[in-house]
Amino acid sequence: MRVVIAEDLFLLRDGLTRLLRAHDIEVTAAVGSGPELLKALLEEKPDIAVIDVRLPPTFTDEGLRVALEARQRLPGLPVLVLSQYVEQLYARELLSDLAGSVGYLLKDRVFSDEAFVEALRTVANGGTVLDPEVIGKLLRRRQADEPVAALSPREREVLELMAQGRSNAAIAQRLYVSEKAVSKHSTSIFAKLGLEPSDDDNRRVLAVLAYLNS
Amino acid sequence: MPVLVLCYAVICLAWFLRVLSRRLRRPELRSLSLTDRLRRLELGILLLPAVAALAGLSGPVDGTLGMATPLIAVAIWTFAPAYVTSGVVPLSLVAVGLDGFLRLRDYLRGTSWASRYGLAHTGNGAAYPQLVLLQAYLFIAVGLYLLWWTHRTSPWARAVLRRPGRKPGGVSVPRWSLLLVPVTIMVIELLGRTSWFGASWWGPGLTLVAAAAAVVSVIRFPALAADLAFAAFILLGLYGVALSAFWPSHVPLPSPYTPDVRFGVVLVDGRPSAILAGIEGLALLGFGLWLVPRALDDRTRALLRSATDADLAVRVVRLTRTRADAVDGAAAEIRRLERDLHDGAQARLVALGMSLRAAERLIATDQAAAAALVAEARETSVKVLADLRDLVRGICPPVLADRGLADAVRALALDTPLATDVEVDLDGRPDLPVETACYFAVAEVLANAVKHSGARRAYVRIWHSDGALRITVTDDGAGGADPQRGSGLLGLERRLATFDGILAVNSPPGGPTIIAIEVPCALAVSA
Repeated sequence: MRVVIAEDLFLLRDGLTRLLRAHDIEVTAAVGSGPELLKALLEEKPDIAVIDVRLPPTFTDEGLRVALEARQRLPGLPVLVLSQYVEQLYARELLSDLAGSVGYLLKDRVFSDEAFVEALRTVANGGTVLDPEVIGKLLRRRQADEPVAALSPREREVLELMAQGRSNAAIAQRLYVSEKAVSKHSTSIFAKLGLEPSDDDNRRVLAVLAYLNS
Repeated sequence: MPVLVLCYAVICLAWFLRVLSRRLRRPELRSLSLTDRLRRLELGILLLPAVAALAGLSGPVDGTLGMATPLIAVAIWTFAPAYVTSGVVPLSLVAVGLDGFLRLRDYLRGTSWASRYGLAHTGNGAAYPQLVLLQAYLFIAVGLYLLWWTHRTSPWARAVLRRPGRKPGGVSVPRWSLLLVPVTIMVIELLGRTSWFGASWWGPGLTLVAAAAAVVSVIRFPALAADLAFAAFILLGLYGVALSAFWPSHVPLPSPYTPDVRFGVVLVDGRPSAILAGIEGLALLGFGLWLVPRALDDRTRALLRSATDADLAVRVVRLTRTRADAVDGAAAEIRRLERDLHDGAQARLVALGMSLRAAERLIATDQAAAAALVAEARETSVKVLADLRDLVRGICPPVLADRGLADAVRALALDTPLATDVEVDLDGRPDLPVETACYFAVAEVLANAVKHSGARRAYVRIWHSDGALRITVTDDGAGGADPQRGSGLLGLERRLATFDGILAVNSPPGGPTIIAIEVPCALAVSA
């Protein structure tokens, strides 16, 4: 897997590069600004880009903008956006092209490197990974709505993990239940929310997110 | 002769335009839009020449008076303070309108004296006499509108239109304002209601309505009512004196036919009663003049002394207060930050250091225990980050810094557990401090709506017009929000006052609640 990293702080850029190399992931470019990132993405066409939202020269949401622009030019280019804070607004913008292959995580999540690398692989394979904090906010906003309120506590847990982009197997492992139980829960959730059931993990995540985001 | 008149008109116009352009370019007005600049200059004055010209056109166009009026108007404008001229314009318009009624009265009574009123002629054989009435209404309406239009910037109009009791320790209701009621009835009689409506009940009805209007203005605008009362006494007095002096000719110009006129308690139908009317006029005039110093309250006296000084004094008081509030607010904010850092991030970093130190000691002897401690240290660092994240959000929300007010409020709406629609219409960004204050104001208002109102939907609208950023937040909740009781809204008001902003709450019991925020500022055009 070939990765481009964009992070303006040298220490973090270096740390990320080393973390990925330790997991046998090839870092083809590690850049420190928005324009450099765009150039690297268009030239290298990596399997995935790991991008910090705040980048020079503007030190605002430069990274996010470059990610969106690059995805316009290279549709479906997998991007994993990292940030010191997560915003539903930005998550919406990343998800808006409905192409999947999007990750949006708090920077702290790199502390647990296995989970981070797993998220990276999910996104590179076309999946969607959203930070639990974003999902939490989404659910908080919708908790008063009829269908969401009708979910059982266990179903809510499953929905939350599903929205974060986890597969049935991962959810089962996390909740200490069988995969079959998870798939039963997910069928029930889809029925309650009135969504088309789907066996495809990616499409399932997108459906849930589209529902929560509406 | 026409060439001379033309030259004269051109000179007047050039003078007028020169003064106007010089005033519009005053440096303190540079950041405002053109409309605002005009408003600040009390645009009423633009119409002064128009009013003067109309006055000149009305009545006999013998040339001298008609030609002198624009000159007088421009001179007043050049040399008198803006508030005087802006007061003169609407009032002149109203007076010209009332004059129209008098003229029409004479027309209805069949006076043969033809005179010009704006675009129409009055008097016997006039074409389209109804145009006179139309114009009279128009003049009065435009005059009143201008009064209202300038009331926010013109100290004169503001003082006149101010409602009683708004300002703590404000103007007491002048006793003399009550005199407006009899004066109004007298004016209606003078206008000759019988010749308009005959003996039908419309006549007394009109008198009643006018008296009621006078009572309303005494209650709502006591200062205005008092001013109007003494002005009316003086004018009525002058009219009475002129009536007696020119009798049996018509006032103020000769006319072959003279109708009866009811002037106060006297029905003028012959020489003796005309003399009585003159005496009554003198009494009214004297009384009106005697009233002037008594009816003027402090604010009018302050205005007459110097509008600029009074304005500046008010401004200084306001700035002193808002500056103190701003300093207090900033100090409280710094204390809060210090406390948050001390109890949050700093404490956790100490714990982190201790965990790492313990792990360092154990690493040679008990690797499993050391690993557990390092894992704990990592957990702590995550919590430190979360603490700092919340802290940063409280100082300046990242989306606000990244994208500006529009997207920040959109992001806020997404995070609010209330279906919130946001509509933003801004061509640029205000300064960051203004944006920040407005953002936190909206955040606070929305949080209130979530906590107290039981609303299901909220609606935020942001736009910029007339040199001010305007925000309304509407919710469909239970209403009853009271800025005087809730300290939150009061605090917001103070925070916005630092930027000369204001906050208005409209929240009747049963809802809906509408909160309007207005902060004067310019927009920086976005790149």
